[in-house]
Amino acid sequence: MSAKSVIELWLWGGPSQLETFDPKPNASPDYNNGLKAIDTVVPGMQVHEWWPNLAKCTNLCSFIRSMTHPHFGHETATYLMQTGRNPGGGDVYPAIGAVVAMMKSKTYSGDLPPFVILTGAKGRFSEVGFLGDQYAPLVTGGNPNTQKFVVDGFVPPGGLSQKEIERRFDLLSRIDNFGKPEAFGEFIETGKKARHVIEGGAARTFDLSQETNEMRDRYGRTWIGQSLLAARRLVEFGVPYITVNMSGWDSHKRHFETMKQRTADTDKAIAALLCDLHERKLLDQTILWVSGEFGRTTKVDRDPPWNGGRNHYPRCFSALVAGGGFRGGCVVGESDETASKVVKRPVSPVDFLGSIYELCGIDPDGPMPNNVGKKLTILPPESSEGRLREIYA
Amino acid sequence: MTNTEDIFDLSRRTFIGGTAAFAGLSLLGAQPQKQKGKVPAKGKGKAQPPAPEPPQSAAWETPSGDATPAVLVRRLFLDLAGRIPTVAEAKEFVNSKDASKRLKLVEKLLDADSFADYWSMRFCDILRVKSEFPINLWPNAVYVYHRRIRSFVKDDEPWDAFTRALLTSSGSDFRDAEANFFRATARRTPEGMAEVAALTFLGEEYAELPEAKQKEYAKYFGRVRVKNTREWKEEIVYLDPSDPSGPTPAAFADYLLGPAREKFASAFVQRVDWWMLGLEKPLPEHVEIFKKNGFRLKPLVRAIALSKAYGRGSVTGGFPCRRIDAEVLDDMLCDLTGAKRDFQSIAPEPFTFLPPERRSILIEDGSITSAFLLLFGRPARDSGHLSERHNEVTAKQRLFLYNSGKLFQQIGRITDSRGFRNRAMRDIVHDLYWRFLSRPASPSEEKMLLAHFNGLPKGNEKWRFPKDVAWSLLNTREFLYQH
Repeated sequence: MSAKSVIELWLWGGPSQLETFDPKPNASPDYNNGLKAIDTVVPGMQVHEWWPNLAKCTNLCSFIRSMTHPHFGHETATYLMQTGRNPGGGDVYPAIGAVVAMMKSKTYSGDLPPFVILTGAKGRFSEVGFLGDQYAPLVTGGNPNTQKFVVDGFVPPGGLSQKEIERRFDLLSRIDNFGKPEAFGEFIETGKKARHVIEGGAARTFDLSQETNEMRDRYGRTWIGQSLLAARRLVEFGVPYITVNMSGWDSHKRHFETMKQRTADTDKAIAALLCDLHERKLLDQTILWVSGEFGRTTKVDRDPPWNGGRNHYPRCFSALVAGGGFRGGCVVGESDETASKVVKRPVSPVDFLGSIYELCGIDPDGPMPNNVGKKLTILPPESSEGRLREIYA
Repeated sequence: MTNTEDIFDLSRRTFIGGTAAFAGLSLLGAQPQKQKGKVPAKGKGKAQPPAPEPPQSAAWETPSGDATPAVLVRRLFLDLAGRIPTVAEAKEFVNSKDASKRLKLVEKLLDADSFADYWSMRFCDILRVKSEFPINLWPNAVYVYHRRIRSFVKDDEPWDAFTRALLTSSGSDFRDAEANFFRATARRTPEGMAEVAALTFLGEEYAELPEAKQKEYAKYFGRVRVKNTREWKEEIVYLDPSDPSGPTPAAFADYLLGPAREKFASAFVQRVDWWMLGLEKPLPEHVEIFKKNGFRLKPLVRAIALSKAYGRGSVTGGFPCRRIDAEVLDDMLCDLTGAKRDFQSIAPEPFTFLPPERRSILIEDGSITSAFLLLFGRPARDSGHLSERHNEVTAKQRLFLYNSGKLFQQIGRITDSRGFRNRAMRDIVHDLYWRFLSRPASPSEEKMLLAHFNGLPKGNEKWRFPKDVAWSLLNTREFLYQH
């Protein structure tokens, strides 16, 4: 059985591997700033001390401590991590979200688009690349951590009653009389779909007030907590690919203050999501992956203007994967004593993405449909190290 | 039936008369001015007894399948100005009895700044004008290059001369605008430059060319180099001097304008025919017009805009309907409702801020965008293919237009003002039709709307009726399609 949905938690900016999934408690304070690691429910699988909630459910997820690629810039690194391609070819490839959306739409027939982004797009490159507009993500906007999270376009504005909405559509159907309707198949079809979304249950998917207060508290009353809760609701609805774009990890300055605050919210939210999916028996069919475009330099930069900062570093960084055919409680790869170098089992973005595709039932070596008239494959060939088969369930 | 024919007579006189003026204007580049005033005036029709209502299709087409003046004026503005006509502009054209009004309008639109604005947007799509990945022109060069492309359109420079300038320029990307042609490539290698040159000037897919041809093209660009200066993002384009006898891009220009001349002209006309007539292949007679008029854009656009095919209706007359471009639709909605655009320039730093009043067709940089433009498929300007523009209709777009709270609020700013409402409902309805569809409501539409209004319960919904009509109009296919 292959995974039905994917939740991508994108830590935009590049989180430090040391303060996440590859802590180095035995390194000098020049590297770990005197911070510790903590034990988790899986013996020998430690996590940084700022992740106490995740420590209770590491049996549900696995860490990759040997992610590596050569790009130091946000744009190029993001492009590689999202598409598996090096920038610079003539073609702009779609992000994994658009590709999964396209391949899964053969079997997915929900009213929501197959690719949803909470709450803002990455923006630095077009997520849909050369794929058609129909696989472009629905970007929700808004803030799930507010009293009323409204996705513009899903609920008719102005507090109209159901009757009024119907009468207004009736008026529209009389006014919209141009030409021969049969010549506008696409227009009629999309109109029907849109109305179905408005009148059906799809719009309620975004209505977090349908959840109990306890559930909302469990994820944390934060942007990331409520975004992951919304992501879980989208999984229940069957949406194939959900991206949560979380910014604020580009901590050149005030690194430790930023990380402490970011990890507190994120730890609670990820742990709640993992346990919640597990309890609902959804984890087996849902992949969660958590990463940024790279990690950060390992020696703390104490000179001005950084004053205790970490800079971009792609040669060795960490990611988290869970569910959907990935085993939990495993650690893939190993870095050196300061997390500066991969010493065992390097994992390239191509092999990383290839594993997710494969578990989704998509052949990474298969053809990539495109409108540029070329024979392309979904990913370049896997490396000699290969995809993450050692942690496939 | 005779009565119905007579009703049509009035509209037909203006329009068919107009067409007759151009019937003699062959597509082969005759001077349209010579035709002026040669239209035989037709006698005034006698007063008729009250006739049955014309069918709804009379709003769009004459019985012979030609576009009505209302459809034509909207079509000309959309194609030549990148917007729909204002109420005054539409009424002036529809009500004018001038037999040469079509010609006069085309001339006026071709001379206007808006023609240069809109068509330079199209050429910037083809020439891939954007700051960011994967083109990486960066902001300064984007503005310099855009300005140069706009002057090519505005001054109607010959395409062959402009092509030569693009292929032979060197120097700083900040000062030598045309040198940016070589920089606006995803791969700055001889093959990468040959790929975009083949597509831009010959409409050829590099990957599909025989290998020998690929090598031959790439050779022309083998000496093109780009180097940095100490100024941020300033780059110098130059020819590697170490092999002064090697082939150059100038030799490629010689090839284009010499042996490949026919294909070079066709590739240009193909795009214009696609934009204006939705044709996949260029019409040979249009290629002839283009060549005879010194490879200039405006005579070609003029000839197409005045042609019989362009004046056909789109219901039965064969003119193809296409969803309106993202940028144009954005400008239409903002013009109509006073909505503010919300541009984003996430990268590159330093961020560029554009005022919300800036028309979307005027955004120089393909890297600056908005949620609306993304939703409606503005091209990414990554490769220069026409297919980068996604003009299909999606359910997400329909949801936005149905439900956007912002848009609905903005509509209220027209329809809820006292000045607007302080009239008979009949006048309000016609006003809205003119604004959104560039025509009055037909008799049957008027009757239907007033009956609908009278049937509504007193209160909120009745009060909201003009707003709901406006909301309905902007959700119609007649509004959303170029037809």
